[in-house]
Amino acid sequence: MEIDAKIKELKRRNREAELGGGQKRIDQQHAKGKMTARERLDYLLDKGSFQEIDKFVVHRCHDFGMEKKKIAGDGVITGHGTINGRPVFVFAQDFTVFGGSLSGMFSQKVCKVMDLALKNGTPMIGLDDSGGARIQEGVESLGGYGEIFKRNVYSSGVIPQISVIMGPCAGGAVYSPALTDFIIMVKKTSNMFITGPQVIKEVTSEEVTPEELGGAMSHNKRSGVAHFAEDSDKAALDRVKELLGYLPQNFREKPLSIECTDDQKRTDTSLNEVVPANPRLPYDMKKIIGTVLDNNQFLEVHEHYAKNMVVGFGRLNGRVVGIIANQPKFLAGCLDINASMKCAKFVRTCDSFNIPLVTFVDVPGYLPGVNQEYGGIIKHGAKIIYAYCEATVPKITVITRKAYGGAYLAMSCKHFDGDANYAYPTAEIAVMGPDGAANIIFRKEITDSSDPDATRAKLIEDYRNNFASPFKAAELGYIDDIIFPENTRPRLINALMTLQNKRATIPKRRHGNTPL
Amino acid sequence: MSDITAPMGGKIIDVKVKVGDAVNEGDEVVILEAMKMELPVAAEESGTVKEIKCKNGDAVETDAVLVVLE
Repeated sequence: MEIDAKIKELKRRNREAELGGGQKRIDQQHAKGKMTARERLDYLLDKGSFQEIDKFVVHRCHDFGMEKKKIAGDGVITGHGTINGRPVFVFAQDFTVFGGSLSGMFSQKVCKVMDLALKNGTPMIGLDDSGGARIQEGVESLGGYGEIFKRNVYSSGVIPQISVIMGPCAGGAVYSPALTDFIIMVKKTSNMFITGPQVIKEVTSEEVTPEELGGAMSHNKRSGVAHFAEDSDKAALDRVKELLGYLPQNFREKPLSIECTDDQKRTDTSLNEVVPANPRLPYDMKKIIGTVLDNNQFLEVHEHYAKNMVVGFGRLNGRVVGIIANQPKFLAGCLDINASMKCAKFVRTCDSFNIPLVTFVDVPGYLPGVNQEYGGIIKHGAKIIYAYCEATVPKITVITRKAYGGAYLAMSCKHFDGDANYAYPTAEIAVMGPDGAANIIFRKEITDSSDPDATRAKLIEDYRNNFASPFKAAELGYIDDIIFPENTRPRLINALMTLQNKRATIPKRRHGNTPL
Repeated sequence: MSDITAPMGGKIIDVKVKVGDAVNEGDEVVILEAMKMELPVAAEESGTVKEIKCKNGDAVETDAVLVVLE
């Protein structure tokens, strides 16, 4: 063949590969409100930056007549590009080709880019939209998943891994996203489950729709498996870009700092009134978080799950911080099983990627109840303690109101090598609340008195004045300083800037054994 | 139809809606006293109040249905 003809043939093959499963299937994808895999990558990555790898790979199956049906690319598009100028490796499952199902060669393609991402310390982003294992491939499909999961684990904590569920993701396939750092789901058009509604109905007679079982809100609200629920493909991809902005390329780097356009010394007198004078009234912790961060910008993570705990990313003086906070508006800010897992996971994610931790505390304790106890609050609650003690990034804590008992310890206390621990004048740092404490310590005085109710009330008040305050803790050096709420932002920035070059280690071992 | 349930066990100290009221997502419908705090229970969806299943002073358990919306 002449050179011209060869060039022509390459162009033809490129065009054919780019059509994936064909125009009809592309139209079907669009009809469901979904973008195609190529359109998604085009939207996600900087214009012109995408370099595809393995475009012409085809499957090698010789069973069930598969050898007669080969489609270039074999159902997944892999390669690399940039997001806001930063290199990333990507794969996008192509639902138009064999339903996006995974074969041995599909897996080989994905493993190739995962290996490249790991070797080059570059984030790995996966767009999932797949019917699962390609049944015709049999065990080879399973082997393909196994190779991917192993690489997710080897990459864990080395490079950021973000999964975007943009269609079905069922059976064993869900384990790859489950091993990554963040899962973003698209409402209505995506779902994740191990066994689907049909099999559940056959085995247990329970009836449930795919959306109810494993849709975006089910996993955001109920199971906590997913961290974000977006209204559309484009919104989900925008979220990837936003999230990546807070993460470094790999664990050896810090996230990019940006120029701070918000006065470092900005005070906010409204903070003096955020914590109500009446200790029985809740308030919205997000008001404090919002006003102290640069330009009020806060990317809340896991917003719909365990609302009694708030986690997310923001910046202080241009530098990325991880925010963790109790939310008094929900469950009185108590720690429970779900909040414990949400908190511990986020703390460890930040510590993996050199992101300092800023913790706001208003916690009356762990949630009492038989369900919590049987559910294992003991081991789940311990996860928070493990995560904070293990973390060697800068740790800054501000106690705004209550910090009682074990929860005072769990929420980034000084004893866990907190670097900067502050309290508001409204802080109540105590072994338990005044009511409980007075009843125990002064039981005899109360029962012996001629007016037990009046005596109890007075003793509770005395206890409140003497012990439910930040001063005992400050006198012990368990708090570094009691700060004026309006100064929270300047104090946090000040602390953060002195901790920029913090280096700390914990004893070496094969690896710790966190409660699970 | 959706149920607004108690997020934790406690005592009802205020019922802020009556049957027939229109309620938006985020509106507070009941105040629950628990952990020595007055906690608002808010609607997670919009709707109209169909039935009120609690009254001031009631002790309720976690997940008890407080208000039914349609």
